[in-house]
Amino acid sequence: MKPLAISLAALLVLTAQICAETLRINGSTTVNLPVAESAEILRAEQKMDIQVDTQGGSSGGISMLGDGLVQIGMSSKPVSAEDRAKYPSVQFNEVHVGEDAVALIVSKDVWDGGVRSLTKQQLKEIYEGRITNWKELGGKPQRIAFFNKEPGRGTWEVFVHWVYGSPAAAPKVSFPEVGGNEETRNKVASTRGALSQLSSSWADGKKVFALALKGDDGVPVAPITENIATRKYPLSRPLFLLTKGEPQGAVKVFVDFLLSERGQDLVKKHGYLRLKDLVK
Amino acid sequence: MRKATDIAVAAVAGLCALIAVGILVGLVSVIARRGGPALSWGFLTEQIRLVGASGGIFWNLVGTLILLATAFTACAPPAIAIALVERVWLQNERGRRALRTFLYTANGVPSIVFGLFGFILFVQWCGWGKSWLAGGLVLAMTMLPTVTVSLIERLKTIPPAYIQAAAALGLSRSKIIWAVLLPQSWGGLLTGSLLALARAAGETAPVMFTATIFAGATLPRGIKESPVLSLPYHIFILAQDSFDPEVGSKLWGAALVLLALVFVLSLIALPMRLKIHEEANL
Amino acid sequence: MTRTLSWFFSMLALAAMLLLLGIFAWQSIPVWQHDGTRYLTGVKWFFRSREFGALPMIYGSLVVSFIALIVAAPLGFGAAICTAEYLPRPARLAVKVLIELLAGVPSVVYGLLGILLLRDWIYDVFARFEPLNGDTLLTAGILLAVMVLPTLVTLGDDALRGVPAAQRRAARALGLTRAETLISVTLPQAARGFGSALLLGFGRTLGETIAVFLVVGRQDNNLPEHWLSVNKWLESGQTITSKLGSSETNIAYGDPLHWAAIAGLGLILLAMTGAAAFLGTSFGKRSDA
Repeated sequence: MKPLAISLAALLVLTAQICAETLRINGSTTVNLPVAESAEILRAEQKMDIQVDTQGGSSGGISMLGDGLVQIGMSSKPVSAEDRAKYPSVQFNEVHVGEDAVALIVSKDVWDGGVRSLTKQQLKEIYEGRITNWKELGGKPQRIAFFNKEPGRGTWEVFVHWVYGSPAAAPKVSFPEVGGNEETRNKVASTRGALSQLSSSWADGKKVFALALKGDDGVPVAPITENIATRKYPLSRPLFLLTKGEPQGAVKVFVDFLLSERGQDLVKKHGYLRLKDLVK
Repeated sequence: MRKATDIAVAAVAGLCALIAVGILVGLVSVIARRGGPALSWGFLTEQIRLVGASGGIFWNLVGTLILLATAFTACAPPAIAIALVERVWLQNERGRRALRTFLYTANGVPSIVFGLFGFILFVQWCGWGKSWLAGGLVLAMTMLPTVTVSLIERLKTIPPAYIQAAAALGLSRSKIIWAVLLPQSWGGLLTGSLLALARAAGETAPVMFTATIFAGATLPRGIKESPVLSLPYHIFILAQDSFDPEVGSKLWGAALVLLALVFVLSLIALPMRLKIHEEANL
Repeated sequence: MTRTLSWFFSMLALAAMLLLLGIFAWQSIPVWQHDGTRYLTGVKWFFRSREFGALPMIYGSLVVSFIALIVAAPLGFGAAICTAEYLPRPARLAVKVLIELLAGVPSVVYGLLGILLLRDWIYDVFARFEPLNGDTLLTAGILLAVMVLPTLVTLGDDALRGVPAAQRRAARALGLTRAETLISVTLPQAARGFGSALLLGFGRTLGETIAVFLVVGRQDNNLPEHWLSVNKWLESGQTITSKLGSSETNIAYGDPLHWAAIAGLGLILLAMTGAAAFLGTSFGKRSDA
């Protein structure tokens, strides 16, 4: 029995050492696209061992980094004070790798019905169930089928941050929930009167359409590149790689790659804004 | 009137059977039509590229096979042991009945519950993280009742004369097990396992929290933090998060491959299973 | 040695199952302490404000399973009557093979088909009831009906074939037609087996996760005024399993109370499926894995 235990222990130690070379990444499906492609390149060119997963969205990335299950978290929202309090010993380091906007997208019938923009107040009333029909917003009579992003998604947090100031201030409501980006686009495209929050790069303008948002001055601002770059569009959000402390070793190689010209081109390829596109 | 009722009942029953079979045919044809174009040799031998839009499903297939092999290995010893306890070692009827109730109840446990159990026990408490072994063990738990019951049914069909003859030769019960029962019941173990493996191959819920990730895993090295890719999880993720129309056909291709794998496993087991099933019902 | 090994591995399996039950019971303790039985009867689930009421999900699970059985039972038992009473042996075997194959189709593949076909179909067919979208309890129920169909056919077929052939021959000799024999002799005797099949099928549908997750809409707290009212069937809902499979499971771990609420859902599900499986097997004579 004893030799078995010793060899088992040896095996575990050995495994731990081998595994130290594997770079594990988890988090936001939005950030995943350029990251997964970067990983493919680094795997091929640098023979690096990189595993990418998207469990639990941004919150999953933050908590798995906090729990030490991954070395890089992907997040489409900043690490909140709450998260930092939950993992007091972890030094979350946010590396800004690109910028994205959360669009309010609608199905074709709503767009064709003439609804092209919303105000913050209107969004609030839709979210709280006081406005339930597009005709109240200048569209054709059709009930509003709102799909809410599921909890933990960066998209949802950015949305309630703008409308309510913080996730904690958001009212307690229950809507049908959607998770992944394709799921969201697919459901909105195939449902009459549909509205949901979605990364603006996925709003193709063929099946789903991004509404402009009206600020206090009443001027509609569409989620197009120049408005995101200048932060005129209010629902823009930074995309982050999260590391524990300053990146080192394989983590640094990966982060540096995504910040390099080639990495940034991947960010652009997937519809997001590169760092250099942003107007500082 | 009576004759009309007679025909009507037959017609309705026949129609029901036809619908049931029609559902299968329709389902397979939809998947084959959508997934067929994606199939090629490269689809099976290349790894995923461009987040599922390009390349193939090689490591997903390998990962699924690893999980199945692990599950089978972990499941066989307890399945044999329980079947022997039920058939040989337990002599009182009450104990047997309790054991069978246990098996049937275990068979009713939803696979997501096994998945969460594995997540708590292996991933968190044992600190394995997502690991092929955790997934294999969880799948083994989902398989155990099916395999055991199939083995018990097989043991029941062994003619008592064999056992009496062996006993008359003065063999002990353990000797009888090794010389008569086990050699005669491999078929039961195999058919039960193949059927259970067919089911396990398509399971997503038990492995999504315990063993599989979306991309980047190849062959596992060690136990800790060694996830694998798998076909069902791949389909599950792409179904919610494909960004590229190209992913669509790859997605259905993966579904077609998974379906083929499941069908092949069930079909190999089928002749023997039907035989046992029919005999048990005579 | 053989004996020891047999008992050892059997006990190992038993211990694993008990451990499973124990872990879910133990991990859910905080939510019982926090809410008591209000956890079961509470109608609001908002984890951010630490409100955990499981009733809407229990309702969702029961409703989708109920719909599945309502739809699948006539079809499944009809098909079972066909295979057991009418078809000649070769055709019978052929149908049984196909039904076995249908039983093997993975849950995620059903989910994919649900997204592609069933969702839009429900949305169009029931358009005059103005469903907000195609992801409804009804969609999940019908998808589950297809998934549970093979179980009902196989177990129904077993129940019918368990009725001694001599009784059928006697009834036919008395001049009864096939249909009359079936209705007055065979079916009454197979009724227990049918009941058992329904219970086992019910357990199956309660525990099904992935396919339901993809089409049920995952809307929390959607309870009807009255349990028997059907007006929520065409709305999105949440089942116990769709919640367990969702992103909340990832978020919850590390927060004892939230995690306890998730583990508690697992425990409730275990109790429901365990009861269905136990009743189903003790009700009927035999069941098949």
